[in-house]
Amino acid sequence: MADQSSAPKPSSSVKLVLLGEAAVGKSSLVLRFVNNDFQENKEPTIGAAFLTQKISLPSRIIKFEIWDTAGQERFASLAPMYYRNAQAALVVYDLTKPTSLIKARHWVAELQRQASPGIVIALVGNKLDLCAESSGDNDSAADSPADAEEGGAEPGEAEPTDNGDARKISTREAKSYAEEEGLLFFETSAKTGTNVADVFSAIANAIPETSLKGSRGAAGGGTQAALSGAANRADEARVNLADRAKQKSDNCAC
Amino acid sequence: MLSSLVQKFIDQSPLSSNNDHRPSKAALFRDQFRLPAGQHPLHEITAELFLPLPSSAAAGPLTSGEKSRDSGNRYVGDLHLSEHFLCFSTIRTSFLPGASHTASIAFTGPTQGAGPGGNGFTLPLCSIRRVERLNSHHDKFSLALTTFESLQKALTDKTKASLPFPRKLVLTLDGSRLACERFCDGLKRGLREGMKEVDSLRTVVSQCFSEYLLDPARLKAREEGTKPPDPPDTGLGILFRYPGDARKLRDKSKIRLWGEYMRENGRNATIVRQPTFHKLIRVGLPNRLRGEIWEICSGSFYTRLRNPNLYEKTLAKFTGQESLAIDEIEKDLNRSLPEYPGFQSEEGIGRLRRVLTAYSWTNEEVGYCQAMNIVVAALLIYMSESQAFFTLGALCDRLLPGYYSKDMYGTLLDQRVFENLVERTMPVLWEHLVKSDVNLSVVSLPWFLSLYINSMPLVFAFRVLDVFFLEGPKVLFQVGLAILRINGEELLDVHDDGSFISVLKNYFSRLDESAHPHSENEKLRAITKFQELMVTAFKEFAGITHASIEELRAKHIDNVKAGLATFAKRTSIRNLGPESKKLSADDLSAIYDRFFSVLAERQKRAKLREEERRRQEQQKTRPGLWTHHSDRNHDEPARNIAPLQTMDYDAFREFLANTAKWALTDSPTSVSKDLSKPVTSQRNRSHTLLQWGSGPQPADHDFMQRLYGKWDESHQGEMTLQQLVRGLARIKGTTDIMNSMSLFFELFDDDNTGKVDREGILRMSESLLFLSRRGFDGTITPSDFGNGMISPVSAADAKDGLQMSTNEKFLGSVSAFIRRCFEYADPDEVVESTSSKLQAATINEPAEEEDLLDLTETKSVSKQPASPKPAEHDPLSEVTPPGTAVKPTPILEGSRRSSSRAASHNLALDPSKPLHITLPTFRMVILADELLEQFFESFFPQSFHLSDSPNSSTVSLPSSTLSGNLTTFSNLGTPVKNLINGASNKTVIDVGRAGGVVEPGSRGLRGVLDNIVNDGMRMAAEMRKRMEETQREFERNAREQGHSRPYRDEEDDDDDDDDEKGAELGRRDQELLEGAEVASIKTEGSRSRAVSSATTETGTGPKKGEGGGGGGRDLG
Ligand SMILES: Nc1nc2c(ncn2[C@@H]2O[C@H](COP(=O)(O)OP(=O)(O)OP(=O)(O)O)[C@@H](O)[C@H]2O)c(=O)[nH]1
Ligand SMILES: [Mg+2]
Repeated sequence: MADQSSAPKPSSSVKLVLLGEAAVGKSSLVLRFVNNDFQENKEPTIGAAFLTQKISLPSRIIKFEIWDTAGQERFASLAPMYYRNAQAALVVYDLTKPTSLIKARHWVAELQRQASPGIVIALVGNKLDLCAESSGDNDSAADSPADAEEGGAEPGEAEPTDNGDARKISTREAKSYAEEEGLLFFETSAKTGTNVADVFSAIANAIPETSLKGSRGAAGGGTQAALSGAANRADEARVNLADRAKQKSDNCAC
Repeated sequence: MLSSLVQKFIDQSPLSSNNDHRPSKAALFRDQFRLPAGQHPLHEITAELFLPLPSSAAAGPLTSGEKSRDSGNRYVGDLHLSEHFLCFSTIRTSFLPGASHTASIAFTGPTQGAGPGGNGFTLPLCSIRRVERLNSHHDKFSLALTTFESLQKALTDKTKASLPFPRKLVLTLDGSRLACERFCDGLKRGLREGMKEVDSLRTVVSQCFSEYLLDPARLKAREEGTKPPDPPDTGLGILFRYPGDARKLRDKSKIRLWGEYMRENGRNATIVRQPTFHKLIRVGLPNRLRGEIWEICSGSFYTRLRNPNLYEKTLAKFTGQESLAIDEIEKDLNRSLPEYPGFQSEEGIGRLRRVLTAYSWTNEEVGYCQAMNIVVAALLIYMSESQAFFTLGALCDRLLPGYYSKDMYGTLLDQRVFENLVERTMPVLWEHLVKSDVNLSVVSLPWFLSLYINSMPLVFAFRVLDVFFLEGPKVLFQVGLAILRINGEELLDVHDDGSFISVLKNYFSRLDESAHPHSENEKLRAITKFQELMVTAFKEFAGITHASIEELRAKHIDNVKAGLATFAKRTSIRNLGPESKKLSADDLSAIYDRFFSVLAERQKRAKLREEERRRQEQQKTRPGLWTHHSDRNHDEPARNIAPLQTMDYDAFREFLANTAKWALTDSPTSVSKDLSKPVTSQRNRSHTLLQWGSGPQPADHDFMQRLYGKWDESHQGEMTLQQLVRGLARIKGTTDIMNSMSLFFELFDDDNTGKVDREGILRMSESLLFLSRRGFDGTITPSDFGNGMISPVSAADAKDGLQMSTNEKFLGSVSAFIRRCFEYADPDEVVESTSSKLQAATINEPAEEEDLLDLTETKSVSKQPASPKPAEHDPLSEVTPPGTAVKPTPILEGSRRSSSRAASHNLALDPSKPLHITLPTFRMVILADELLEQFFESFFPQSFHLSDSPNSSTVSLPSSTLSGNLTTFSNLGTPVKNLINGASNKTVIDVGRAGGVVEPGSRGLRGVLDNIVNDGMRMAAEMRKRMEETQREFERNAREQGHSRPYRDEEDDDDDDDDEKGAELGRRDQELLEGAEVASIKTEGSRSRAVSSATTETGTGPKKGEGGGGGGRDLG
């Protein structure tokens, strides 16, 4: 997924943050996306972890700068440090743990209030592999192969079902909530890899083209130019909202 | 002795320690020597420590120090005595109370409780076996201490020919004769106490590897090839291998060196720190001794010594119990150092689970925080469970304060401090980071939080830990700064978080490589990057001291805490649920603040009370000076209590008292009603004051209980902020009279049947009176108020007159309310009335009015004819609010034909005919009365004052209303003003005898008001009484007349009151019981000038007023 086609496509960075209750599988999702790997016993994230991964779209290359945060409640006060300037967020819950969706809603609310305006949020129910799709109706597994069409339209065609073994949160419940709030919605398994790549490509597609235009030229050391571009864009929006206006406007291209 | 006692009181007094962030001297003293809780600097004196060289071993190159003519090492320093410890350090420290109080620097020296740096010892008194007074210098006090292991060795080593002379520590005190003698006295006493702890010492010491290492039996067994004694538990490492290559780590020679050192300088409890001690730690501890040295350096050893079985006891005490912390721990058990084989086994996981769980029980404030799993996992590689448990305690309480607590303030604080240090020491790099918008703490936070354990390879992280336990938190900063310094060049080329992180990741993975791979110099080439790191950290950043860290912490802490508080509040308010949206942001903010300030205040007061109680208990049981500060309460480390998050009923009352003025008590000086805290008579007063602090004292009324019962949805006595907000949002969120009425109704619908019975109706009326007894703040205005205004008297009089009429009218309204409720009530057995449901209300029917009068007459046992007044004013006939009849609601459920009504009214008081009203009936009755309508339309919701209060800690009375509105109940101004002025204690009393202290001018008015309120209360009470009498009467008659006649004729009912005498006795009892209830809502019984006859009247409020002849009454 990270290949670079021969023609030098424009490339841009997207800052993405993962939020969600402890042990829902945030780090595992990232590990699956970045290394296509899965570890049964992943250490809890302390503070946050940082990884990058590129994804190739027809028109451009998106480089995700992924901030994977710690999930325990008391780490919540650190989160603003990480979602600051983020253009996208993955709010993850565990399909087998009802409390995790409540926490996810809290995160969504916080992002909508405190993060950069226009942040693209995806709601992701993880550990789909634990929800048996025993009965023939290709329910949960079949839901949402997000084709990720233009403009970040709601992907996912999740049928409401509840026949999963350990499933505690129905697709319908989460999906209707996501629709209400205008979130992308997926059900994934970091363990099997189901839908993981789709989440990220859907996000890549959903990032408004406009917020990518300051992207760096093909390859090379323009990282920081891109970054500062992103920061500045976020700034403009923020200033408009008279929100935390004093953020970094002094990004220089040294 | 005396001075130390004084100091102790200063330490314990909440005033001295909590006023600022500065720790008390005792705390600094404990930190300096890593002592457990409960130790105080009782005595201190300058002294010289002389350590004679052991006769056998020549002074090796290891042991340096100032060699003296007597062949031994001499150190000058301060000698301290606490309850259970004798401590010596060459770092000059003074904790004497004589020194200045104002600047902490002045009495702590530059150390600020830095930990056991320098040379010296921390000897538990129980480990001192003998103290001899040496007389070599006649004008000096010289003491020779013999410690535990020396004696033991002497005993067990008898067979050995070359018996080493028992080690002696010679202390020469340097002070006035008096000072020296005092010190020795204290020491003597302490030693005596220490005797009691020798068993504990034996237990604890036997679990130390050093004991095994030096055990002659082991050495002998090895020589003779017999089975050596079992070694103590030295962690998972012994089962699953210690990390790293033992050969490469030169573990064997390190063990040997430590063995030598401890033979000369004591071990575990009795070890004396000489320069070699520090060096041996810097080069890295050997695997099997690592846990023990960590334990001694961190001081967890001494905590364990004080309570050797706490770990096992804690586990046993809480077996089978569940908690949030346990859930969180379970999630992480398989995620803690998963690469280490020990944590892939049940054995390791089990140990980790037990230690984390046990700790979560002892420290609720921390519970469990991610990263603790990693730290404890690391500890468990080298330590037994019990050792790890106590060491975790030392980490959370002393070494990493606030790192793992619920808000993690310590973590954030130290990040701030670290950034500050980077800025100071590496300004260029700092500037670059700022420019590139790289967030330093993104990288450094995990370093601190998990002590580098999952940042560096384990072997190196443990090396950092070795020094950290000895020298304290500053080590984390020094290492962090060194990392940045060493990688500085590379970091300056990096322009974003990602590359920043990867540079460091790469560095950590190569710590074992040569720092100078290309150097010609072989020696230089042999230096690893890790060694370079350590040298940089401790040489180049030697200036980073505990004191400088503390200074920076003090600088930032307020900011950090404020930031956290804002964040917590914002988050909490955001997550209060959809209903909270009905309230304004200001209101929510006010509720949040008030909720938590009430809880915090209560918790603080409870703690003070508890301390007071304990102090008294101690004084009672142990009057002696020394025993006064004995260990009892320190045996179990005080459990850190988490801040309260939910309100019990009393807290709720306190909240209400800060929110609505009807929730203020009328009798604040009375003995505390709080049954849970019985007070001893002698401390009565202060306890009562403490009970509510300096804030307003809340009332206790049925209505408040109902409110609490309704809002506390779990019915566990744990009302959450969310529940409280939901409750308030329902009342204040929609200013809709229908809503407000149904909320009120629901409070009395105990079993959620949609019905309120006879009892409930009376309760309702009592609540109406309770709520209104402090006036209406102008929210209620009778329609004829204009008349009052134009009366030819002074403005004040006019106002008074108006007041009276409003309140009198309200009283009338309430009594009419009761009447009507009974009138329109449905019988409980609705067998035949099914057909008549949903019939439109016929409230304007004249027949009804007659019924009303009828009712009055039948009900009212006084033979007085009902006054025509209420009938005239009766809104039922005159001012029926528009819309009442129009409302599509089935207003009069089960309405009856007027002909049958009279009969049913007569049943109103007949308890054998249970009745109830429904919500529609209730609404109708309310809407039928102008004042009650206004009551629910405006007064009731508005009586809860949220954000508009001028001062959230006082009664919220909108000042604008108070001053600007003539119709305000201004006579309340006096006590309220006092409250706002903050004359707390006085105010409480003022409110208590409100009538007694109001200004002369308003006296008459108050009296009248009180009368009205009292009348109302009495009326309600009387109603209840009567009902119960009827019930009793009925029962008695039933008994008298055998079982043949269960029901009496209605005529007999009429005679009930004439019959009173007969029921006198039972009634007295009943009154007594009721009295208790009613008393709580009465304003002031003694001043009530109501005529006694009034009490027998029901539903004729205004009439009654005439009878009472209250001076200022002005009936329209
Ligand atoms: N069956 C299954 N297990 C998963 C899946 N994703 C993660 N896990 C497991 O869930 C546990 C937690 O995964 P992490 O990725 O560490 O969770 P996290 O959200 O990063 O947790 P924190 O860092 O503590 O916030 C690990 O034991 C994973 O192996 C999944 O899709 N299916
Ligand atoms: Mg994680």
